[in-house]
Amino acid sequence: MRPLDLKLFRDLAAMKGQMAAVAMVMACGLMVMIMERGLVVSLETSRDAYYQSNRLADLFCDLKRAPNSLRVRLSHIPGVAVAETRVKGSAVLDIPGMKQTAEGTLLSLPEDHPQHLNLLYLRVGRLPVAGNRGEVVVSDAFAEAHGFMPGDTIDATIYGARERLHIVGITLSPEYVYALPPGSIMPDNRRYGVFWMNERELAVALGLEGAFNNVVVDVAPGGDPTAVKADLDRILTPYGGLTTYDRTEQLSVKMVNDEIKGLRTMAVAFPLIFLSIAAFMTSAALSRLVHLQREQIAQLKAFGYSSRTIGWHYCKFALVVVIFAFLVGGALGMWFGSRMLMVYHPFFRFPVLDFYPDWPAFLLAVLASAATSFLGVLGAVRHAVTLPPAEAMRPEPPAAFRASLLERIGLQKLASTSFRMALRNLERKPWQALFTTLGLAMATAIPIVSVSMGDGMDYMMDFQWRLAQRQDVTLALIEPGSFSVINDMRGLPGVLNVEPFRAVAARLYSGHHKRRVAITGLPQNVLLSRVLDVHGKPVALPLSGLLLSKQLAKMLFVQPGDALRVEVLEGRRPVLHTTVSGTITDFAGVGAWMDIDRLHHLMRESRTVSGAHLTVDSAREDEFFAAVKDSPRIGSITTTRAARENYDKMMGRMMDISRAIFFFFSVVVAFGVIYNGARIALSERARDLATLRVIGFTQREVATVLIGELTLLTLLALLPGLYIGSELTSLILTSINTETMRIPVVLTGRAYATAVLIVLLSSALSFTVVSRHIVKLDLLGVLKARE
Amino acid sequence: MAENPLPLSHSSATSKSREPLFRARGVTRVYHTGEVEVRALNGVDLDLFEGELVVLLGASGSGKSTLLNILGGLDSLTDGTLTFRGKDLTSATERELTLYRRNTVGFIFQFYNLIPSLTSRENVALITDIAPDPMDPEEALDLLELGERMDHFPSQLSGGQQQRVAIARAIAKRPDVLLCDEPTGALDVKTGVMVLDAIDRVNRELGTLVVIITHNAVIADMADRVIFLSDGKITHIQENPVRRPVGELSW
Ligand SMILES: Nc1ncnc2c1ncn2[C@@H]1O[C@H](COP(=O)(O)OP(=O)(O)OP(=O)(O)O)[C@@H](O)[C@H]1O
Ligand SMILES: [Mg+2]
Repeated sequence: MRPLDLKLFRDLAAMKGQMAAVAMVMACGLMVMIMERGLVVSLETSRDAYYQSNRLADLFCDLKRAPNSLRVRLSHIPGVAVAETRVKGSAVLDIPGMKQTAEGTLLSLPEDHPQHLNLLYLRVGRLPVAGNRGEVVVSDAFAEAHGFMPGDTIDATIYGARERLHIVGITLSPEYVYALPPGSIMPDNRRYGVFWMNERELAVALGLEGAFNNVVVDVAPGGDPTAVKADLDRILTPYGGLTTYDRTEQLSVKMVNDEIKGLRTMAVAFPLIFLSIAAFMTSAALSRLVHLQREQIAQLKAFGYSSRTIGWHYCKFALVVVIFAFLVGGALGMWFGSRMLMVYHPFFRFPVLDFYPDWPAFLLAVLASAATSFLGVLGAVRHAVTLPPAEAMRPEPPAAFRASLLERIGLQKLASTSFRMALRNLERKPWQALFTTLGLAMATAIPIVSVSMGDGMDYMMDFQWRLAQRQDVTLALIEPGSFSVINDMRGLPGVLNVEPFRAVAARLYSGHHKRRVAITGLPQNVLLSRVLDVHGKPVALPLSGLLLSKQLAKMLFVQPGDALRVEVLEGRRPVLHTTVSGTITDFAGVGAWMDIDRLHHLMRESRTVSGAHLTVDSAREDEFFAAVKDSPRIGSITTTRAARENYDKMMGRMMDISRAIFFFFSVVVAFGVIYNGARIALSERARDLATLRVIGFTQREVATVLIGELTLLTLLALLPGLYIGSELTSLILTSINTETMRIPVVLTGRAYATAVLIVLLSSALSFTVVSRHIVKLDLLGVLKARE
Repeated sequence: MAENPLPLSHSSATSKSREPLFRARGVTRVYHTGEVEVRALNGVDLDLFEGELVVLLGASGSGKSTLLNILGGLDSLTDGTLTFRGKDLTSATERELTLYRRNTVGFIFQFYNLIPSLTSRENVALITDIAPDPMDPEEALDLLELGERMDHFPSQLSGGQQQRVAIARAIAKRPDVLLCDEPTGALDVKTGVMVLDAIDRVNRELGTLVVIITHNAVIADMADRVIFLSDGKITHIQENPVRRPVGELSW
């Protein structure tokens, strides 16, 4: 080995703790980078391949009922490659061993030809055979949650009639990668499944014989989707068509895309923070090394080594750190990434979901880390090599100091001698102090982001379920019906409260912005499903105008008082010119609300209801579900209470994992930054500290001088850290929030306290480690010569 | 054996009647560096008395600094005994040694070892803050004629001034003993004389035991006793009947 490389390894061994701290911070950045980017690439790859190979439709439309003869007209729309009509409905499922009922979405499979669009991906078994009664294939998440296999049966109530479904296959569908139960914000694999059955049989069960109520369309290459959409709407409107939407608005597609969008943000934000901190740490540590070795550098130059050789020698230090971080971060990132895919599995059902590390992005990150570290090192080396050897070999004169700002403005009385030393040292190297503070501020910010995201989720769920959606069960009627059904519900066993609702599909227009939503009519002063303001206070339903989700108002670019055109897509399809009377706070999806009587008036109907929200005595739940599941008019049963429990279980696990990771990150960063800073300070002050020991300072007193300086930095970092954490939280949440789910920015004292505690404890830990070096200070050596 | 008066100290005119401050018997210090064993001190017997000014002379590597460091509680012995005012320093703990240094010993080094981030006054205050019965930092600095330079940082002082600040720092605690390792090593003659004069005055006015290491035989003339070291042993002790005034020294 060449002598310079020998020197490299000996020097590295001497500063291994510090180098390891730097490498760990860098490794964290690279780990997040490879994990999150890998997840992005994996999800995108799987998604694109899946949608392509299984021919996910471009356009979707629900309607009330159209005769099958209309098919030909649809397929002749210019720009349409394939139009497939389907029958779609819902079922109440009676699962043995489950107290509550489950919900099912039923979709038809063509009988006379294979599927053209949204092809199923059969995992096990076969498709239903035309003419065989009751044969279904079931979504694999639901089957997995219950351990169903082909041959098992499920009892279902479809459109009020009891049917026995025979499972013949288990399948995936590109349409249901992320399967949200209707009206829910989280998948619930036990309580929601999708079923495919023969078209004729399902049509009969749903009272749609010879007709269809769902169309999916593949736009031909070169076709104009907007024109096709318009044509579809024109043709289907007379049949109760509810506005065609394209793939990006399809719920499952949207959820997958939203998740990828969130990951993208994370894949940039966190690595950027970690890698810039690490780059600073590397250059600070190596600048110090170069400074300590300036005499050696002068000698090497005197021997005839070129500046370039010497520069490259010091760059190799950074290179070793980068390589180490690359190996550790890469391995951990790959491992966590493939773990994370398993966490995704319950939510996102792809035929194959393999971990594809994003090597180009990763290499870019590694190169960027190396480059920034090199820059820092070379800056220091350049200074050292430009000194003429003769000058560099002479000892440096004592460092120039001056009274610190605090003293210059006359506050010297406040400062003890050691505090003054600390202040002046910091002021002499303001950039170093600034970057250390910044690193620590980031370490403070990281746990705030993670705790706040958890708190935001909790707040959202609490708001949603304790304040807004307080019903235990929501019953939806197969067809909107007369008010008498509400009285029937009151008579069901265990029912405590019943509150009706009327929901109609509508399109809202404001200028050229438009949006399809459900308008929900509610009675005044309801107690169960309520619309609330920011503070969780109920908002009175206006006697004129419409209440909108704040998010919806944003999407339509309207404010309270602005005009709005409303086209109802059901019944007689009335058109209404009204105003936005106010906005309400909700966190998932968007909607519009009005007084139920006004909605009846608008629809020119008398007291029609779509369903009701109920509270049920939990002691009599069994009786209740037994009675309700065979009720002929109930189309779907949504159990809010069960949904909440499911959420707590699923999210609890995810949040625990991410909290643990973030906790680890902030400890690594806080410890690393302080430890590195402390080692540099120790090295710079070794002579002073040893002198203090010699003239009679105890180890503890000497440690106080050193630690005082770092404590000062830590304390200085806390406030900006809290601020950065708050800003970062809202920045990240704003960028990952979507129409389907909006996590509010909730900044609690708990988040701040956690952050402060983590940083202080990590500081204490690194102080302890550094104190061991104070004990080992070489008292005699330091007196022999100048540094 | 510590009871046996040694012929070396027996003849000391200034110290015959009094108890010594330091009593060293068979002091040995061995350093191990890898395979090599260096006997920096090899059985040193020595008594040092209150109020005297002693100069240590010897070739490079003869063990002068080692002896001084051991006297100052900065280094430990491999063998032998050392007492200060009858108290055993050999078995003192780290903490006791720190206290001993803090309360009793003043150090002056060749490279001054001032804290660059503190002014003259603050460098002195560093000690006066923790010592039991200190002077005011201003008083100590005035003694060394540094009244004008109180609020200067080391980088704003000449070498001689820095060394005088170091002396002020060392004496401000009113130490029993002032240990100086080549205090003029980095200074020119004129400044060196000024520094030695300061040390001499401390010895006379405060009655502090002073030990000075030097390579410069001329300086030996200002001492009460001159101790010659060679290869870790005391070869010979010379008593000066008259101390030469520092002002007359020149080299
Ligand atoms: N920490 C140490 N480790 C190993 N050997 C040491 C150590 N300190 C001193 N020595 C050795 O002990 C011997 C005496 O050293 P010391 O520093 O006491 O000499 P000195 O008389 O002060 O010399 P100089 O006049 O050059 O300062 C030398 O040979 C030196 O190499
Ligand atoms: Mg020496």
